[in-house]
Amino acid sequence: MTSATSNIKYQTSNIPQFVWRIVDVIIAAVFIYAGAIKALDPVQFAHDIDNYKILPWTVGAGLAFYLPWLEIFCGLALIVRRLYLGGLSILTALISVFLVATIAAKVRGLDITCGCFGHASQHWNFSAHLTLDLLLLGALIILLLRSGRDFRSAWQILNDQET
Amino acid sequence: MKFSLACQALILAAFSLLPGVGQAIYFRDKISWQSPVPASEMVTVVQARAWGGNAIWVDARPDNEFARDHVPGALSLNEDRWGELLPLFLAEWSPEKKIVVYCSSQGCNASREVARRLHNEAQLKNVFVLEGGWEEWLKKK
Repeated sequence: MTSATSNIKYQTSNIPQFVWRIVDVIIAAVFIYAGAIKALDPVQFAHDIDNYKILPWTVGAGLAFYLPWLEIFCGLALIVRRLYLGGLSILTALISVFLVATIAAKVRGLDITCGCFGHASQHWNFSAHLTLDLLLLGALIILLLRSGRDFRSAWQILNDQET
Repeated sequence: MKFSLACQALILAAFSLLPGVGQAIYFRDKISWQSPVPASEMVTVVQARAWGGNAIWVDARPDNEFARDHVPGALSLNEDRWGELLPLFLAEWSPEKKIVVYCSSQGCNASREVARRLHNEAQLKNVFVLEGGWEEWLKKK
C-alpha cells in the first residue's frame, strides 16, 4: 500500500515535470529560431530595430549584433537547464520590452515590419505579433514563478537538513 | 535567489557578447554605424529633380498607395511583389541612370529596404533614398 501510494505520488509529480520540460523546450526552440534568423542577417535586424524609432541608429545597430545571440544563449540555457533562472529572466525581460515597443509603435502609427522573427515576420499583422508575444510572456512568467518556487523549496530543504 | 538569478543573467549576457562582438567586427564594412543609410546614399527632392531624365524614380510603397498617386513616371517596386516587379523595373533601368527610391514619409522603412535590395541583390549602383519620401515630394511640388 505504501509502495503503491509512493508510486502514484511519483507518477503524478513526474507528469507535470515532463509537461513543463516540454514547455521549456518549445519556448527555447522559439527563441533559438528567432535568434538564429536574426543573427544570419544582423544588418536587416538593425533596420528592423530602427523602424521602431525608439533608439538612435548606432545603439540599435549594436543591439542587432548582440540580441540575437542573447536569445540563442538563453534558449540553450533553458534546454540544458544550466543558468536556467538567468535565461528565463532575460527572455522575460526581452519579450516584455519587445511587447511594450510593439504596442508603442502601433499607438504612434508606425508601420512595423519587425517581429519576434525579425524581417521573416514582416507580413504578420499587429494582432499576430501581440498574440505570440503575450503567449510567450505568459509561458515565461509561469516558468519563472515555477522555477522560483522550486528553488525556494530546494533552499528550504537544504536549510532543514543543516538544522 | 536574487544573487543567483543576477549572476546567471550576467554570465549569459557576457557569453552572448562574444559572438556579438565577433559578428560586429566581421560586418563592420557592411553596415553604416552613423545612420541607417549613409549620407552619400540619401538625396533631397531638389537634388533628385535636378537629375531630370537621368533619374529613375522608384515607388516602394504598397500597390494601393502607388495606384492612388505617385511621382510622375515612377515605377512601382515594393517588397510585397518584389519578384514580380523587379523584372519590370530592370527592363526600364539603364546603368547610367540614378535610382531614386521613396516611400511614404521620413519615418518609413520601405525605401531603405528596396534600396538595400537593389544594391545587394540586384547588384545595382547609384541607388539613392529620397529624404522625406512622398510627403516631402508633395511639399516641394
